[in-house]
Amino acid sequence: MADIEGSPGSSMHGVTGREPVLAFSVASPITPTDTTAKFALPVDSEHKATVFKLFSFANPHMRTFHLSWISFFTCFISTFAAAPVVPIIRDNLNLTKQDIGNAGVASVSGSIFSRLAMGAVCDLLGPRYGCAFLIMLSSPTVFCMSFVSTAGGYIAVRFMIGFSLATFVSCQYWMSTMFNSKIIGLVNGTAAGWGNMGGGATQLLMPLVYDIIRQAGATPFTAWRIAFFIPGSFHIIMGILVLTLGQDLPDGNLSTLQKKGDVAKDKFSKVLWYAVTNYRTWIFVLLYGYSMGVELSTDNVVAEYFYDRFNLKLRTAGTIAATFGMANLLARPFGGYASDVAARYFGMRGRLWVLWILQTLGGVFCIWLGRANSLPTAILSMILFSIGAQAACGATFGIIPFISRRSLGIISGLTGAGGNFGSGLTQLLFFSTTRFSTAEGLTWMGVMIVAYTLPVTLVHFPQWGSMFLPPSKDLVKGTEDHYYSSEWNEEEKQKGLHQGSLKFAENSRSERGRKIASAPTPPNSTPVHA
Amino acid sequence: MAAPRLLLGFLVVLACFSETCFAAISFSSLRRTLVVTASHPQRLLKAGEDKIIVTWGLNQTFPAGTDSAYKTIKVQLCYAPISQVDRAWRKTVDNLSKDKTCQFKIVKGPYTTTNQTSEWTIERDVPTATYFVRAYALDAKDNEVAYGQNTDAKKTTNLFEIQAITGRHVSLDIASVCFSAFSIVALMGFFLAEKRKGSKAQQ
Repeated sequence: MADIEGSPGSSMHGVTGREPVLAFSVASPITPTDTTAKFALPVDSEHKATVFKLFSFANPHMRTFHLSWISFFTCFISTFAAAPVVPIIRDNLNLTKQDIGNAGVASVSGSIFSRLAMGAVCDLLGPRYGCAFLIMLSSPTVFCMSFVSTAGGYIAVRFMIGFSLATFVSCQYWMSTMFNSKIIGLVNGTAAGWGNMGGGATQLLMPLVYDIIRQAGATPFTAWRIAFFIPGSFHIIMGILVLTLGQDLPDGNLSTLQKKGDVAKDKFSKVLWYAVTNYRTWIFVLLYGYSMGVELSTDNVVAEYFYDRFNLKLRTAGTIAATFGMANLLARPFGGYASDVAARYFGMRGRLWVLWILQTLGGVFCIWLGRANSLPTAILSMILFSIGAQAACGATFGIIPFISRRSLGIISGLTGAGGNFGSGLTQLLFFSTTRFSTAEGLTWMGVMIVAYTLPVTLVHFPQWGSMFLPPSKDLVKGTEDHYYSSEWNEEEKQKGLHQGSLKFAENSRSERGRKIASAPTPPNSTPVHA
Repeated sequence: MAAPRLLLGFLVVLACFSETCFAAISFSSLRRTLVVTASHPQRLLKAGEDKIIVTWGLNQTFPAGTDSAYKTIKVQLCYAPISQVDRAWRKTVDNLSKDKTCQFKIVKGPYTTTNQTSEWTIERDVPTATYFVRAYALDAKDNEVAYGQNTDAKKTTNLFEIQAITGRHVSLDIASVCFSAFSIVALMGFFLAEKRKGSKAQQ
């Protein structure tokens, strides 16, 4: 097999659509359990766990899961820590609306690049050091907030703190060294969703810490600076925990990995080419900007919005804003679940419709949030908006594994970058200018979400169809085998490098929905076990 | 799609909520019957240090009895137009319950027919901006009925600038540097220690 077993994105979970989504104990009969290994969880031949026991902290698998998602959660806390205390910061630093908006853009832009670099760092140093290096080297940037005295300094510091969001990559990479590919989708999805909750938790945490410090006697303009010591300390604590309690691999640390040089790697240039030339990649890069991207933008503006529009106290505004980010706990897994259920009945067409419905509803509720004039309607519309947007994120990653088998890692990475780019763009257009009030900005952002979700109608799979078109009736081109093996040229097929893709194609026939039985067998299909 | 119908339903509900249930007091309905002056050092004022002496009283050109409803006086520090540019959270609107021009209370007390004075030390949470002073006369129900300010109607004269405290402290800066240094040193320490352990194991 040319692809690395368990490499990020090589998950097969959910592929057939018949596996239970919340499969906390997927004891897959296909994966032989290594009974000689002495681990708390059943493991495969590479000692990766084949079972996901959520409430366990057993070394090394579940401990890695918890260290990893909490590190990512911590970085989300510090990246969005400024948002709920902006009403204080803007008076201390004499900021204009443009300054506040630009700082928000800066906070999400840095990670576009740091996430790309993080992949290389994980390859070189391993995910444990990748995570620890990033989280501990970004803690000085959080402490730097105590020095900030101008708008420029504020924007620069938020930009630097934003680099820490690359822990997403180390988190997903680390999970893939510890968990079998059959459950890696669920594990990674849970870790990503729970990490994202940090954007909500910070809206509760920072005003609370600020209030406590104020009550201890500090003036407002000093109290918010001291408050930043909390997320900064979290960075140091998590970094030390990762270094002392974590390990790169089930059997030990990285040095042993480097002896395993015999796994053939796919050529990066080819993988990149097939990702970039598939038009569906770019549609999803755009789309993710209007689910994940608007989620990040809203994390940055919603607390200040409630504080100003409804004259709330800082802590009240923060508590309301927190419910937006915390909905990730359930909303994102719900989106993935809804996608899987739709696929069971309608196949890939169902998945596309579910994504369109969820994301468009998110946009509609965002419009309503901007136009809500009373506090109860604003809160209701915000919660509905959060469910729509976050479920759409989950539903997006229900489709991404099917775009390409060979280039899944890069496509996932590009999609993620698209999310951050969408966030920067929406903040720049709607929340950094005095042309719109924040309320109008939210309304227009909702309109943009609805408009830019329409391209999902263009996503067409010859073997499964699209939202409005049925699958191709061509006996050769309308098969999964053809679609996935077209990513390999003849030379590579001769060498048998495409076997993994064929196996994937076979399993993906469930994306035809209930019509699986009536699917014609293509005339020259290669046998399943070559 | 149920979405358009759902949206219509929401808009109807929204319309019901958007009516306010009390009569809003508008600034343009108030009479300018008070005379307010503010004296201060003629330079950039520092929050937490400098003092402003405010005097207020009824403008004697108005007939007697104008102030019969005045029960309380509320004197506030207000943002001048230049400090409201690009800052919607300081916007002036006519509806007094939504107006954000005056956000800092200087003094609030019972109204007397004679002129009154108050000395106010600028508080440490006042941001850097240009200001003027306004006094509102309130009736028994705490509603504004009249006002006076130390500047003209267009808010261009007698404005003064206040410089805020930075909020920074040397002790905070030092703590910040110490924590950051600890983070970097701890990381490097772990890394080198593990490298040494690794090379020792290989020997």
